[in-house]
Amino acid sequence: MQLETILPVCSPAHKQSFVLCVVAMCRAVPINDLIYRASQQSDKLHALSTMLTQELGSEAFPIDRVLACHTSSLQTPTDKEQALQVSESDLLSLARSLLQAWSDPLEVLSSSTNVLPYSAQSTLSKTIQKMQEHSKDLKDGLDILSSKMGPAAQTITSLPFIQTNEIGQDKITKLLSCFRRDSHKIDSFLKVLRCRAANMQPQVC
Amino acid sequence: MALSPSSNLLILLILSSLDWLPSPGSTFLTDWDHTTSSALIEPHFTECISRDQETFHCWWSPGSFQNLSSPGALRVFYLKKEPPTSQWKECPEYIHSNRECFFDEAHTSIWITYCMQLRTQNNITYFNEDDCFTVENIVRPDPPVNLNWTLLNTSPSGLNYDVMINWEPPPTADVRLGWMRVEYELQYRERNTTNWEALDIQRQSHQTIYGLRLGKEYEVHIRCRMQAFIKFGEFSESIFIQVTEIPSTESTVHLTLVLVFGTVGILILIMLIVISQQNRLMIFLLPPVPAPKIKGIDSELLKKGKLDELNFMLSGRGMDGLPIYAPDFYQDEPWVELMEVDETEDVDNGEKKDNRGSDTQKLLGQSQPVSQHININCSNSVSGPDAESSQATCYNTDLPEEETQMLMATLLPGQPDEEETSLDTGERSSASEKGERQLIQTQTRGPQTWVNTDFYAQVSNVMPTGGVVLSPGQQLRIQESISAAEKETKKKRKESEDSEESEERKQKEPQFQLLVVDPEGSAYSTESSIQQISTPPPSSPMPGEGYHIIHPQPVEPRPAAITELNQSPYIIPDSPQFFAPVADYTVVQELDSHHSLLLNPPCHQTPPPCLPQHPLKAPMPVGYITPDLLGNLSQ
Repeated sequence: MQLETILPVCSPAHKQSFVLCVVAMCRAVPINDLIYRASQQSDKLHALSTMLTQELGSEAFPIDRVLACHTSSLQTPTDKEQALQVSESDLLSLARSLLQAWSDPLEVLSSSTNVLPYSAQSTLSKTIQKMQEHSKDLKDGLDILSSKMGPAAQTITSLPFIQTNEIGQDKITKLLSCFRRDSHKIDSFLKVLRCRAANMQPQVC
Repeated sequence: MALSPSSNLLILLILSSLDWLPSPGSTFLTDWDHTTSSALIEPHFTECISRDQETFHCWWSPGSFQNLSSPGALRVFYLKKEPPTSQWKECPEYIHSNRECFFDEAHTSIWITYCMQLRTQNNITYFNEDDCFTVENIVRPDPPVNLNWTLLNTSPSGLNYDVMINWEPPPTADVRLGWMRVEYELQYRERNTTNWEALDIQRQSHQTIYGLRLGKEYEVHIRCRMQAFIKFGEFSESIFIQVTEIPSTESTVHLTLVLVFGTVGILILIMLIVISQQNRLMIFLLPPVPAPKIKGIDSELLKKGKLDELNFMLSGRGMDGLPIYAPDFYQDEPWVELMEVDETEDVDNGEKKDNRGSDTQKLLGQSQPVSQHININCSNSVSGPDAESSQATCYNTDLPEEETQMLMATLLPGQPDEEETSLDTGERSSASEKGERQLIQTQTRGPQTWVNTDFYAQVSNVMPTGGVVLSPGQQLRIQESISAAEKETKKKRKESEDSEESEERKQKEPQFQLLVVDPEGSAYSTESSIQQISTPPPSSPMPGEGYHIIHPQPVEPRPAAITELNQSPYIIPDSPQFFAPVADYTVVQELDSHHSLLLNPPCHQTPPPCLPQHPLKAPMPVGYITPDLLGNLSQ
């Protein structure tokens, strides 16, 4: 989420002052709008990952192999009942944790596209680049949102990604499938959050 | 399924290098008939579907093992790959009638991999890696419900129309809480065709179909899927759309009628306004042209038929403000008018010419060609009281006898209405006929050049009543040219015909019709007031006498020559003496105290010495009285 779109007053020239400015101005932006924009951003992220899997062929995405994603250790609600019972702050924290966990792997992915066949490289590199952008925007937006939602939302579970210099092609597909699952999780959590915040406005949800 | 060449290549590389198995989630429904021979088909799962992302179903088939088709022969085990434990569990709920295993909400977890397995009673396991999946990837939502359509609008041509399709999300998908986000795909086709038109996938619960043809029946159905996922749900029930006629003609007809009647009403209103305000409108649109305004002249006079009065006005007689003519009567002003002198006739009438020539020479004191135009300034002499009649007084000495009569007639002052107009017509007609010699105006050559002896009558006596008696000296020639002049002056003589005939009968009596200037008014008296005057015996007018008095007594009758003169109150008696030398006429210069005309001694000698004694009072034709004299007469 572009902060400029949220707060056109603040200029991102100096990061610290920009953050302060954003934080100061964010008080004027209602939370619902922030959540709405965050959910839109996560929607785009998940759509990109889906497109990637479609382009590269579903055969390249062994779901069973993704059992051991680096983010699997994170305890997240696995069904609707659980999702409805989790508080908004926890949901937001989970989303932010997941998002944070993927900033490094995406970097690795973007630099490792040369492993793939040439015809797939351009598509993969472009899509991964877009995903990085959206991920960054979403992260910034969620940071602002979490600042308004209490200390519980500020918690970010660290999910380290063990990086190797070179990753094989299997790693790439595994990472892509893991990323697709996690992007869906983030999107689902934020959608639930949005609908819960909308309350009397079902059309927003 | 269709794959791009690049993806195929990638797959081959991956498979060849890594020996991977395809994703169970996507190949779960691979047709087993293709992969294996038709002889032996193991029991397998045909399909696993979730409708609401909270539960899911799995169906299996015994394959070619018919002995395992009985319920309970095969058992379903699943593996839920959760981090802490991972062990195979049996299907929580069997539906043997369908060979279905149902997983309720308690046993369903999202984002967790499930693997399915079939086991026989003998613990023979039929397991395929491809049968592993995550629940969100097998979600196929139920079709939307409450599909309906409304007519939006019609094209102007009336051939196409647009409809709006509305529906509701499937009730099983919990969209309200945001647990499922679905997107819809609408398809339509003409009835009894095979190809469906698919509209763009979108997330709204309504969509517009454009460009449907009128009169055709369309079939519409819809399906949906999870956002950013691949698998669609089932299609809904089809609805049928058909529009046969457009209900908009009525409004257009009404509108047309309203417009027509409105226009007609407005036109009628405008007509009424125009008719009622016609006069004002005409004045506004076509303002009246102002009548000519000449200072000092009544515009009434400028109308048709009143030229005489106008001329009178213009002459300066009646109005003080008209500066057209200076009160100086005696200035030499050239008059230019229509008349010309015809040479031929002058030649023919040698006798007259000689006389004229002699007279002219005597008068003018110069030898002039006969055909010369002699312009006499006669206007000034008589311009005072009578400008028009002064025209008649200007004679050309070269004019023949025929003309003489005319000229004499025209010279004599007559009734303003009759004579002046008749004078004009006579002048013109004669000019047109003979080209000729009626010279009404002549230029001055000198103070003496005004006179032609032929056209003047000598005043022989003045009556106490104010009448002037003319001498009959110059009537002979008039007699001879009666016929010629008769044609021209026919018009004028209408009134005086009777008097002419009477005069002819009275040939023996010289008849002088004397115009008595009315001292009261500016007009001459009519013929009725003409007094018969008698001329003294021919011998009476003696040039040597000081003055002659014209007696208004009947004189010797004159022949019909007088006819021509009838138009004028002055009738010159037919006497040869009419064309006598200069001595036959005199100029009335003044009146004495007894209202007698004082005449100058006639100049019968050569013209040069015959200068008027009073240069100021230029010679004037006989019979004219200057305003001074007029005033004296009236006293």
